Amino acid sequence: MGSRDDCIRFLLDGEVVEVSGLPATTTVLDWLRDHAGRTGTKEGCAEGDCGACTVLLGEYQGGNAPLRYRTFNSCIRFLPTIDGCELVTVESLVDDGVLHPAQRALVAEHGSQCGFCTPGFVMSLAGLYLEQPAPDREQVVRAIAGNLCRCTGYRPIIDAGLAMGGLEPAKTWHPERVDTPARRAALAKLVRRRTLELPDLVAPRSLDELASWRQAEPDAQLLAGGTDLGLEVTKALRNLPKLIYTGQVPELHVLETAAAGLRIGAAVPLADAWAAIVDAFPGFEEVADRFASPPVCHSGTLGGNVANGSPIGDCMPVLLALDARVELRRGASVRELSLADFYLDYRRTAMAADEFLVAITIPGAQGCWHYAGYKLGKRWDQDISAVCAGFAIQVDAKVIVAARLGFGGMAGIPARAPAAEAALIGATVEGASFEVAADALASDFEPIDDLRASASYRLISAGNLLRRFGLALTSEEQRKPLSVWEVTP
Amino acid sequence: MSEAVDFRYIGTRPVRPDGLDKVTGRANFGADFTLPGMLHGRFLRSPHAHARILNIDLEAALAVPGVKAIVTGKDFPEVEPGDIQGGEGAGDYHDLAVNVMARDKVLYHGHAVAAVAATSVRAAEQAIRAIKVEYEVLPAVLDIDSAMAANAPLLHEQLYTEGLPEKPARPSNVAQVMESTRGDIEAGFAEADVIIERTYITPTVHQGYIEPHACVARWGQDEQSLIWCATQGSFDVRSMTARVLGLNVSRLKVIPSEIGGGFGGKTTIYLEPVAIMLSRRSGRPVKLVMTREEVFRASGPASASKIKLKIGARKDGSLTAMYAWLGYEAGAFKGSPMVPGVMCVFAPYDVPAFKAEGYDVLVNKPKVAAYRAPGAPQALFATESAMDELARELGMDPIELRLKNAVRDGSQAAYGPKFNSIGLEACLEAARAHPNYQRPLEPGQGRGVAVGFWFNVGMQSSAEIHVNEDGTATVIEGNPDIGGSRASMALMAAEELCIPYENVRVVVADTESAGFTNVTGGSRVTFATGMAVIEAARDIISQLKQRAAALWNVDEDMVDWVDGKVVPKPGINVEAEPMSLADMAAESAKTGGPLLGRASLNARGAGPAFSVNLCDVAVDPETGKVDVLSFTAIQDAGKAIHPSYVEGQMQGGAVQGIGWALNEEYVYNGDGVMENAGFLDYRIPVASDLPMIDTQILEVPNPGHPYGVRGVGETPIVAPLAAVANAVSAATGLRMTELPLSPPRIVAALEAAKG
Repeated sequence: MGSRDDCIRFLLDGEVVEVSGLPATTTVLDWLRDHAGRTGTKEGCAEGDCGACTVLLGEYQGGNAPLRYRTFNSCIRFLPTIDGCELVTVESLVDDGVLHPAQRALVAEHGSQCGFCTPGFVMSLAGLYLEQPAPDREQVVRAIAGNLCRCTGYRPIIDAGLAMGGLEPAKTWHPERVDTPARRAALAKLVRRRTLELPDLVAPRSLDELASWRQAEPDAQLLAGGTDLGLEVTKALRNLPKLIYTGQVPELHVLETAAAGLRIGAAVPLADAWAAIVDAFPGFEEVADRFASPPVCHSGTLGGNVANGSPIGDCMPVLLALDARVELRRGASVRELSLADFYLDYRRTAMAADEFLVAITIPGAQGCWHYAGYKLGKRWDQDISAVCAGFAIQVDAKVIVAARLGFGGMAGIPARAPAAEAALIGATVEGASFEVAADALASDFEPIDDLRASASYRLISAGNLLRRFGLALTSEEQRKPLSVWEVTP
Repeated sequence: MSEAVDFRYIGTRPVRPDGLDKVTGRANFGADFTLPGMLHGRFLRSPHAHARILNIDLEAALAVPGVKAIVTGKDFPEVEPGDIQGGEGAGDYHDLAVNVMARDKVLYHGHAVAAVAATSVRAAEQAIRAIKVEYEVLPAVLDIDSAMAANAPLLHEQLYTEGLPEKPARPSNVAQVMESTRGDIEAGFAEADVIIERTYITPTVHQGYIEPHACVARWGQDEQSLIWCATQGSFDVRSMTARVLGLNVSRLKVIPSEIGGGFGGKTTIYLEPVAIMLSRRSGRPVKLVMTREEVFRASGPASASKIKLKIGARKDGSLTAMYAWLGYEAGAFKGSPMVPGVMCVFAPYDVPAFKAEGYDVLVNKPKVAAYRAPGAPQALFATESAMDELARELGMDPIELRLKNAVRDGSQAAYGPKFNSIGLEACLEAARAHPNYQRPLEPGQGRGVAVGFWFNVGMQSSAEIHVNEDGTATVIEGNPDIGGSRASMALMAAEELCIPYENVRVVVADTESAGFTNVTGGSRVTFATGMAVIEAARDIISQLKQRAAALWNVDEDMVDWVDGKVVPKPGINVEAEPMSLADMAAESAKTGGPLLGRASLNARGAGPAFSVNLCDVAVDPETGKVDVLSFTAIQDAGKAIHPSYVEGQMQGGAVQGIGWALNEEYVYNGDGVMENAGFLDYRIPVASDLPMIDTQILEVPNPGHPYGVRGVGETPIVAPLAAVANAVSAATGLRMTELPLSPPRIVAALEAAKG
């Protein structure tokens, strides 16, 4: 398993920071606040919901690929997972005594009242600025989707985001200025030649090394983006078993797009995975937009989401509709499984203890397919769905020849709706067909009552989503959306 | 009376003095303090909504490595009952002490049972898990109806309803009843052509400040103790902590940090006495920080309510009678905002006959705390929903109906005094003329209108102004700045002293450095503490005149203060150059020493604030989702000292009200356990849920303030509940009387309406 090293290294304000001797589950936030004395980054919830802990992570992607800076929630991310990266906090942004445009704009637009959430907003806006120094309103709102403010009602914060572009450009944290040879060199030096191995975490650097570790330590816990596992530590204060971190395995970061379909490596961040899915299947844009906040999508991985198998996860209904398959590896052997067969029971999958997820594959579509994804929750952004749906039907001469209806929130596992699918197949594309299919959902699912929604709401609204899909397909003149919640295929 | 003045600085929008600290991360909040040798504390909290504590076994916990101290209810002194003075919510010192740490019973899920201080959070948590508690589980009451039922289990065996003509024979879960009545309501309802009668329900909601409660405490062996904490009232923390621990207030020094939101929720204490006790036991400083889950489960949310309302009107829209039955959940200890609820439920209207009866009801939930205009959002949700329905029944424009019945200058308020110089009519007229009221609506959309109101308070404040040798000034005051008050204080000092805003530094000082000052709450800071700043500045000006008179060898009444300079009065023949504050500061050694102005006061005449909100929504009938398309807040601010921060209050309050109306609620299971104790499932609005909130400030001067200021912070949250509900009603044709109007509830109502 090669030579090892037990020191975490990352770049902060131009200096290499070396950390050893801390538990692997030390969060980036706890390190910043308790060990580095950088209290500008705040803890509001310790579960990635409020965004007060937002910071930027700079990643060297090798070769000539540009440096990439993205926001993440430091409260749920374990420190070893930023090994080799650059950490940028609110304290990093002031340049030779000059405030960053996001900071200046927030002061000028009166974007703080109490100011506790402000550092998080500063970082989300600074992250956006690195992509788009003069953003529009939609981009600003999207960028701050993971930041809660309880004082302002957001208007002055949005105004600040819009005002950034009109201010004197940032000296360092500007898309045209950040990627300097010196910074590239500093980050290139941090590229590992030895595997990071702590007493309670190992970060394999190749697929083969990961396979060996998985077989050697079947009781170990795989750690991908950590957006779910982090809560076990920060919220439940649970002691985790040894962790095997997948983020350093290059093969798991590969995202292949071809006419034959998509192959998404298990460690590809949700942001990139959704971008690829939406690019190939535009009907899922809304679910992608609303899946989670940018910081969560930057850390979380599609592989982690699929392997976690939450019955209310939003990826699975869409992947079920797309007939996705999972590629599993154990030792040297690889097997493939349909996603529909992957989920056995509540939070239980077909993956063996010494097996791991390598990739998710989505076949290319042939013929005339229509797609739509819907997510029902209480808020537009960053909400757990009461019901999530992914629909795909193939139409030939006005007759439905194939249908795949994936649902989340309707059963103990993400699942397809065989009775409703059967009702659609062979039927003509008309409202009545979808009425029959919507009624058939009652024999597919017996949803539960919980705090997010009642069983009857789930069943009624799932049927309405199917009717809505049918209506959108059948009406010549596309119905004017009643709500911003609607996606028309 | 207010003075007609051309202001130099008042009404401008300079950046706030703490702006840079907030955007760079330099501002220190409650959890940002660290002391050498500091320990970290954690709480053991009740797993039951109601239980008797039979035994607590600490042996295993004390053996956990790193544990330095453990305290339980036995370690705290008995505290005599007595009304809490000066805070924003009602309450009793004995109850406060028992809420901070349970004694013989736990009264809600999350009630503190023990606390540990250890060398790390992890060690403290390990010790918490090693504490063994034996409970005798008791039946819990979780809502107003079951708490008031004949044979309901009692939270407090010795609690007898107050407010009745004589002490009742048996204890009860109703802590207090109150009645407010005028005229003959039976006759009034008999005269009515239309009567609306409904029951309105609102859920428990939380203030949702983003900063969890946090403090660091250090006990001194000389019994002088220090507390650093995030609070809305450092003097309240001092008095409450001293009372709970049986200490003299002079033994405690409270240093307020920056505060990350409060909205009323940080006007009481949860951590401070426990931190002091742990520090005393361990001999080391102790930090206590609540988790977000603890904030939901164990700090004070806002009351759930049940309000039965009946209103009658003639065909022309004039109200003939109003009746309200108001039940407010207090949580585990008495002191819901039932009293202000009763006082404000009819406040916007002039009605010949009314009767309101209120009930302060104990349930096995956390003791409620103040939340922005405590009691008013619930009460006016009922009133303004009923007024909307009345307008519909009568075929009247909802603004027209309100104008017909609105209180005006000279109206006798339902809660007592005669109104003088109020802005309700002006707000209604502005709403009617607003372009957002004219915008055509599409099918599936609806518009709602509602009135908001809050009394506002004055209370005690102190301020000192130190004039520095270069003529700049330092303002010392004691109100933690929760929404930009330092900017407002600086503007008022600059205005009076005629020096640039940038030359005034405002310091929120600790309890040993500032004069006594009541809580940051009640919409009082800009009004009352601002008045103290103005008076302190005027104290300086009067001293300047005295000193100039001495320098010029004239009588004091021969000196004037004009455009920031002392000058001889017209016609006074003296060889004298006008002197500015800076000139006088430079000469201060020769004229009597440093220039220091001060004021302490109990401000009266706060002046109530009215608002009108307009809300447009679209309702998706298939999913029940409500989109807020536009929201307009119109409010009388008396005089806006810093208009951006007045707008900030209006926008922030509107959004909290929208959240209350549409999504926010404590979801309890049958055992009294909150199921959604986190921001993932307790949904406060995010940017994409909202339109840009439009604001319009009106200025009807408050005669009780030198500049005409009236409080603005609380009124904004009052109207949105009904404004949103009325808009949903207009869009769907359904009258929804129970909040929140969440998608499942709307779909259920639509399904029920289909029959």
